[in-house]
Amino acid sequence: MQTLLRLSRPLLCIARSLPRVAFARSAKLSTASVAASSVNQEEIQFFSRLSSQWWDESGEFGLLHKMNPVRVQFVKNKIFETVHDDGFEEIAEREKNGKILDGLDVLDVGCGGGLLSESLARLGANTLGVDASASNITIASLHAAQDPALCRTSALGNVPLQYRNAAAEELVEEPKRFDVVCSMEVIEHVDNPAAFLRSCAELVKVSYELNSPGGHLFLSTVSRTPLAYFLTILAAEKLLQLVEPGTHTFSKYVKPAELIEFFQKPLGAAGRPWISHVYDGMPVRQEAEVRGMAYLPWKGAWTLAPRGAFGSTECNYLFWVRKPLSSRV
Amino acid sequence: MRFNYLVDTGAWKSVEESRVASIEEMQVWDGLSDARITFNANEANIGHNNGQAPHMATMTENLNLQRALLRSLDASGVAEIIDNTKVSRIEKDTRNGGWPLVHTSNGEVLRARLLVGADGPNSPVRSYAGIESYGWAYDTRAIVATLNHAPRLAGLQKQSKTAYQRFLPTGPIAFLPLSPTSSSLVWSTKPTLAAALTATDPQALVHMINAAFRLPEVSIRYLHRFVLDEKQQMSSDALLEEIRWRERAHVIDQHSVFSSHAFDGIGIPPSDAEMLPPLVTSIQPGSVASFPLRLSHADSYIGEGEHGSRTALLGDAAHTIHPLAGQGLNMGLADAQALAECIQSAVLVGGDIGSRTALLPYARARYFENHKLLSATDKLHKLYSSTFSPVVWVRSVGLEVVNELDTLKAAIMMTAGSSSSVQKQRFDASSWATAARSVELAGSAWRAATSVGKTVEGVLAAGLSNLLTSSGRR
Repeated sequence: MQTLLRLSRPLLCIARSLPRVAFARSAKLSTASVAASSVNQEEIQFFSRLSSQWWDESGEFGLLHKMNPVRVQFVKNKIFETVHDDGFEEIAEREKNGKILDGLDVLDVGCGGGLLSESLARLGANTLGVDASASNITIASLHAAQDPALCRTSALGNVPLQYRNAAAEELVEEPKRFDVVCSMEVIEHVDNPAAFLRSCAELVKVSYELNSPGGHLFLSTVSRTPLAYFLTILAAEKLLQLVEPGTHTFSKYVKPAELIEFFQKPLGAAGRPWISHVYDGMPVRQEAEVRGMAYLPWKGAWTLAPRGAFGSTECNYLFWVRKPLSSRV
Repeated sequence: MRFNYLVDTGAWKSVEESRVASIEEMQVWDGLSDARITFNANEANIGHNNGQAPHMATMTENLNLQRALLRSLDASGVAEIIDNTKVSRIEKDTRNGGWPLVHTSNGEVLRARLLVGADGPNSPVRSYAGIESYGWAYDTRAIVATLNHAPRLAGLQKQSKTAYQRFLPTGPIAFLPLSPTSSSLVWSTKPTLAAALTATDPQALVHMINAAFRLPEVSIRYLHRFVLDEKQQMSSDALLEEIRWRERAHVIDQHSVFSSHAFDGIGIPPSDAEMLPPLVTSIQPGSVASFPLRLSHADSYIGEGEHGSRTALLGDAAHTIHPLAGQGLNMGLADAQALAECIQSAVLVGGDIGSRTALLPYARARYFENHKLLSATDKLHKLYSSTFSPVVWVRSVGLEVVNELDTLKAAIMMTAGSSSSVQKQRFDASSWATAARSVELAGSAWRAATSVGKTVEGVLAAGLSNLLTSSGRR
């Protein structure tokens, strides 16, 4: 049995994509408005207990650390593509490798220990990481403080990376809006995913310029499929205990089709839907994109599946959607 | 391949070209049985990229390469070099995240996001990171020197682009061309002998080097005893006298290539002159040095856990190798390339270059590769230190058989340091073959397909002709 477990260990590591914040119960993404906060107190306590382990790269969150480069690459690629599509080819080409995020206001909702926030800040984004767990914010701030590159104040008095203990709903009340809103491995832990998504969408900047749509929303989560149950819950939590039992709740997983359906409906009374057309269940590349991601144990790294690869979105996936022109949500 | 890396980074532009030799041929033979293998880049048709003639390796002095690297660093303007300064100690910044603090002899303290230990076999960075290394000392020291010799005769002989290595039971002696009149020596031998040879009159060392390539092993063993016994009052003349006497005893003709009598440049040189390196006439003053040989391999290339975080090892700090295959520098350069690529890809996604996640691909890319070479070299060393006659017979027959297999030899040359142009060609050929399926490229695809066909034919023909010649001999 020992050997069997050891053999299957790498495969099942896929299940360790860990969450960051917490929040509701229903898996259906209804557009009916629910006023209550999406923060789930139990989940907050759960991840607060684990918070000291965020930066132990060979520990509990090791697989999340390895997933990070793929997520950042996806964010960079999509922004590069949209800058290109908007007709700024020269800017896009020039900044392809370096500073495509330079100067953008980026919000990381459910930042956890700050894995994603730090990377985005290093790439030049004015990053704000928020998390509903105070201990996560403490850990994230402590870690960022060790890195001089992240605490240096710019000539304009900007600090590239800031953290706040807040839920997405609180930020909606404030006037500040963002070019890019990321919420990675979070939605499967919130109490009311529809309300949570609406808050995230609300926080994305509107563009008033002609012919230039608004900001970006990036999500990553796990699909609600038998494969995902097998890998992330049965194997990782129950059989191998690679991850603390209770980390994932199957019914909270979100299918890509549900996200697409959510953004096909108008997000407010007067708003336009973010996804206008769907072909074969997939949105057009300029409006939204779903990309699968898988851990390859023999390479020791995550890989971004090619666009539309068969079965690639059955477990972990990334989702991008862009606020349409003149949408007032 | 490593050479291409130096070209790609632009460092090679600053190298003094007159002190660079490309090696086209390599002659390796067994000190006991005289079984010989010849590697020739022209025959295998490898290494002719960037408009260069086919070659299997590139030789230059350490100083030349170091100077070129320093110059290209200077020119890049991004690196700051603190010279004339030593690292006095390295400690952990316990108050602030455990980053390494490097204290230098001029009183500065550098806080390192990533501390790369490229600090040699006794790496202080490795001890700071608490990385164990395993291995063993060979009972061998390597003598290195720069040798002067007469050029090959213009018109009658090719200028030497041949490296020579003879495996003696005490260790291999290698002769590597640097320029028409100078070459580099790497002589691995017993520590007592190395001490005596480096302490003695340089002219005596010259005679010993010439003899080590020429005399039968039984006489070399005798000479070694002679050197060790008489080291107090040994004169180079007495040694030469002894060598000449032994040549007569072995019935070596004065005009033979195996003789210690220098060819005086009149008449025709011996027909087999290129089987042996030219006679050494003198040694460049101050170029003689020796160092102990060790096999060692660090348990890990990146620091683990609390103590070793933000450290990476490369080159001799990570592994030391017996010089018989000349792979030490290649391995170090390959490490540097892999680490640089790893850092680059981390930077592009905003990663922390000191983090384990960012460095892991470096260790994955290099550890097993280096381990293969370390272990193959170690086995070769052991195989050739034996004087047990069945072992000598097996290794000699093996060497002669391999010598007849051109494709295998080409494969060996490619792994042992030549450029990757052949692999690139092969890749091009196959990608062209794929393109052949598309109609638009039918014309060029036809050409590609025929060239692939020719290669296959050539391999078959070579194999057949070898079979025929060897059966003919019998």
